[in-house]
Amino acid sequence: MTKQWKLKEIVLMSILGVVFGVIYLLFFLVGEGIRNVLAPFGLAPFGYEVIYGVWFIVAIMAAYILRKPGVAFTAELIAGVIEVLLGSAAGPGLLLSAAIQGAGAELVFALTGWKDYRLRILVLSGISTAVVSFAWHLYSAGMIALAPWLIVSTLIVRIISAALISGVFGKWLSDQLARTGVLRGYALGKELQRKRTYESA
Amino acid sequence: MKVLKKRQKPIIEVRNFSFSYGEIDEQRLFNGLDFKLNQNEVTLLMGASGSGKSSLALCLNGLYPEAVEGTCSGDILFFGQHIQEYGKGELTQQIGIVFQDPESQFCMITVEDELAFTLENRKVPASDIRGRIESVLRAVGMEGFNQHKIHELSGGQKQKIALASVLLLDLELLILDEPTAYLDPISSFEFIELVERIQAEQQISVLIIEHQAEDWLRLIERVLVIGRDGTLLADNTPDRLFSEQKQILEREGVFLPGEYSNSPVYRERWNWDMKSDEKVLSVRDLSFSRGKQNVLKNVNMDVYSGEFVAVAGENGAGKSTLLQLLAGLLEPDGGDISMFERPLRKWQENDLRKRMGFVFQNPEHQFITDTVYEELVFGMKLNGYAKEEMESAAGDLMAQFHLKEHRHSNPFALSGGQKRRLSVATVLDETPDILLFDEPTFGQDAATTVELMNYVMGLKAKGKAIIFVTHDMNILDAADQVVILTRGEVAFAGTPNALWEKGKLLFEARLRLPARLRQKQQEGEIYDLIH
Amino acid sequence: MISSINPSIKMVAVFIPGILLGLTYDVFTPLLYFIFILTVTFTMTDIPIFRWLKLFSPFLILALGFAWMTMLYANQTFSGGDEIFSLWVFEVTAGSFQTGVSVGLRSLCFGALSLMFILTTDSTKLMLSFMQQFRLPPKITYGILAGYRFLPVFQHELQILKQAHRIRGVVRARGIKGRLNQFRRYAIPLLANGIRKAERVSIAMESKGFTGDTDRTHYHRMTVEKRDWLFFALMIGVLLGVFALSYYLGYLRIFGRQF
Ligand SMILES: Nc1ncnc2c1ncn2[C@@H]1O[C@H](COP(=O)(O)OP(=O)(O)OP(=O)(O)O)[C@@H](O)[C@H]1O
Ligand SMILES: Nc1ncnc2c1ncn2[C@@H]1O[C@H](COP(=O)(O)OP(=O)(O)OP(=O)(O)O)[C@@H](O)[C@H]1O
Ligand SMILES: [Mg+2]
Ligand SMILES: [Mg+2]
Repeated sequence: MTKQWKLKEIVLMSILGVVFGVIYLLFFLVGEGIRNVLAPFGLAPFGYEVIYGVWFIVAIMAAYILRKPGVAFTAELIAGVIEVLLGSAAGPGLLLSAAIQGAGAELVFALTGWKDYRLRILVLSGISTAVVSFAWHLYSAGMIALAPWLIVSTLIVRIISAALISGVFGKWLSDQLARTGVLRGYALGKELQRKRTYESA
Repeated sequence: MKVLKKRQKPIIEVRNFSFSYGEIDEQRLFNGLDFKLNQNEVTLLMGASGSGKSSLALCLNGLYPEAVEGTCSGDILFFGQHIQEYGKGELTQQIGIVFQDPESQFCMITVEDELAFTLENRKVPASDIRGRIESVLRAVGMEGFNQHKIHELSGGQKQKIALASVLLLDLELLILDEPTAYLDPISSFEFIELVERIQAEQQISVLIIEHQAEDWLRLIERVLVIGRDGTLLADNTPDRLFSEQKQILEREGVFLPGEYSNSPVYRERWNWDMKSDEKVLSVRDLSFSRGKQNVLKNVNMDVYSGEFVAVAGENGAGKSTLLQLLAGLLEPDGGDISMFERPLRKWQENDLRKRMGFVFQNPEHQFITDTVYEELVFGMKLNGYAKEEMESAAGDLMAQFHLKEHRHSNPFALSGGQKRRLSVATVLDETPDILLFDEPTFGQDAATTVELMNYVMGLKAKGKAIIFVTHDMNILDAADQVVILTRGEVAFAGTPNALWEKGKLLFEARLRLPARLRQKQQEGEIYDLIH
Repeated sequence: MISSINPSIKMVAVFIPGILLGLTYDVFTPLLYFIFILTVTFTMTDIPIFRWLKLFSPFLILALGFAWMTMLYANQTFSGGDEIFSLWVFEVTAGSFQTGVSVGLRSLCFGALSLMFILTTDSTKLMLSFMQQFRLPPKITYGILAGYRFLPVFQHELQILKQAHRIRGVVRARGIKGRLNQFRRYAIPLLANGIRKAERVSIAMESKGFTGDTDRTHYHRMTVEKRDWLFFALMIGVLLGVFALSYYLGYLRIFGRQF
């Protein structure tokens, strides 16, 4: 698998991991704010659910930009590794969840045969990531012990966050990037160029 | 100059080679190049800025066109074999490049890891690696820097580490792409001596890309010239080229080494005395520190309208820091800076920016849009110019700075020299009262240097104040006032003529005499020898 | 000292308890293991206790949040037993209280394990060890390291971008729309620069003869020795021991079931 990837594609995944690793830490503060409001009602962890999508964005952007099998999974895993390298105390835990989330994101792309990268697929991939990662947290964070209505509503919040932040926002961000011309050497940039020459012809 | 060695075998043969960043049948950067590089020979590659020298270097070691999604036709042979037949990495382990932009050269954090990385790629046994690192660091004069972080080194030190890491390859051909552009005059001189020594010891071929090749001349055996049209214009020994084929070089706007050149020296071109007594900028007891390091101490200077001030000094002396303070980008720790008798911090940001232009040392730092055109009209847009006005002003600037064909290019995908010109052009749109330039002429060929200077001196004639930070002693020579920094202190302020008298100071500040005086000095020595 | 343990082995030794503790819903098991982790942390590393506390406090808050939520909202499987106290519309039973404390303790365990790992592991060595012990392809290893190297650069870059905007006459944005615009003006160039750097650094690596070939020598040799396995055995052995003891004493609960 790694034979087909160019070095620059791997470095790109890694840089996305670094950028969003940092952004995630920033958003963490936002999450904390929400958490403090919700804490008295025992709903503190909800605060983090709202921003969960930031954490999946790397997988979806990388897949959308590079368009190769295995990219979504690897990019998410790399982002997890980066979190560890950055010395984030939550790193090792995040690495474990990253592997599982990456698989969730990859699943949807695999079902399309790694050919379809329209918005709806990206959103679906975000949703799938949310669901798979949620299953893992049911186990690891002991959420299975919670009341069913709470489990379901947490899942819904997470799905919405993933669909909007990683699917919709991730695509928007990638498209903006492609417009600057830096993605010339990657699948997304090449497609944009093809479109432009087609339109101008 | 060296005697030509007999019967040299070609190491690289380029046959009918063309290359394009897009499709090969659209815009070709080079067209049907044919030349050879010989074993153990030092070759100089010259050409106007943007003619494709840096791109050619990366084609020779096989990384282009693949790495930039370009296309090529024709053949490049390395030791008689087509470069595409070499396995991945085989070629790059024998052809080493020191890149034009030292920032793009590294992939590890510490010096030691960076150097070890190259050796590991070559499968050098782990036990030998430390010894090799030590000896290469000694060779480039950087002993003891093993554990230093690369991004904390000064420009000159980075360049030396770049050279060291390339020397660890199993070198057959060493390519140096404007390696001295960021260095102060003495460091640059030392770098050249270093390369000369290494070439003599290891008997490798060297290809040097440089605009001002004067100091390299004593080791150069052959010169290649690429034209703006992408063809090879000359392939000759330096002596014959610079005397017999001079017109080609003059037409292409390439620097002729001082002794061959008969164009007027800069100070004669621009010695207009326009200085008025209107004080534009005044600096009193300025000091600034970064962490524990006192970068600037007690700096005083005054700049008048219509004055051209040049700031020089060794690498790391604090020149860029001073300029950033003058522009109000950094806050001084002590002292005052005022513009038109009013402290900088009392100025409204808007007014300040309208009346002051600033150009970063690294041209890429200036860019905030996606095309050359947008970059040029950015300021005009903010000031509410009409569309036609912007169109014509930007058109003029693009023509002036040879960027016409690059109107839609991304600023980051330009050649080194083009980036520099674009970044300078971005502040010339609304003609402020004072312009601050950090090394505006590096990476320029003779023609573009003169054009750029003409433009800027034209502004001076209109009464603008100009400040240059520069390592080019010939430009220093043309200034109204020079300010020399050593280790954060003003070691000298006065006219260039007074500076050239102070041999000891020049030595301490790691500066040299300008070409016109060096030549005289040499002639004087020869005269002394004969009589 | 834990800092000299092979990073890959250390990572596995941290992961296994992290995963297995997810099974338990009693207080005793995670509490005992938590005490063990603290003992290891303060006897086998030289992390200053105040630094540790500072870094650990977010985990504490997080754990409290989880525990509190679980207490208030535990489902029937977990909320048996008598009511201990009630608050507003919530009532906390012995079962839900126990489950809440257990969930909290478990996340404390994982926090303490993570912290122990992060504070004793060098980033570069970790990657090199992944490559040498887990056969992670060099292309990925060095690709990741190259990206990681840009972290300090980004901060610098953001500063320069701000300066560039000032120089070019862009005034500070006001209002929500201005802020959003500003975000775009910063975020896109920063990312674009990152990608440009990715391209350049990979050219630099390839120009130094890097091919991604697994056949390369290693300057920093990462080895696995007896002491690494001893550490591994200690971490896992004690975990199993704690599970056994807890079962023997009758505390062990796996999902809602008592054993
Ligand atoms: N990555 C790129 N993508 C597209 N075009 C490029 C790219 N890099 C350079 N160019 C274009 O190719 C031409 C040659 O660039 P190159 O950097 O090889 O010039 P150069 O001779 O080294 O110039 P200089 O002396 O200014 O460094 C320029 O016109 C430049 O705009
Ligand atoms: N961002 C920074 N962080 C920390 N130190 C810095 C930074 N920028 C510069 N320095 C240090 O401040 C000192 C002055 O740097 P400055 O860039 O002003 O030198 P300079 O005279 O412009 O050198 P050069 O000729 O190499 O451009 C140097 O010692 C440098 O290492
Ligand atoms: Mg160049
Ligand atoms: Mg400088």
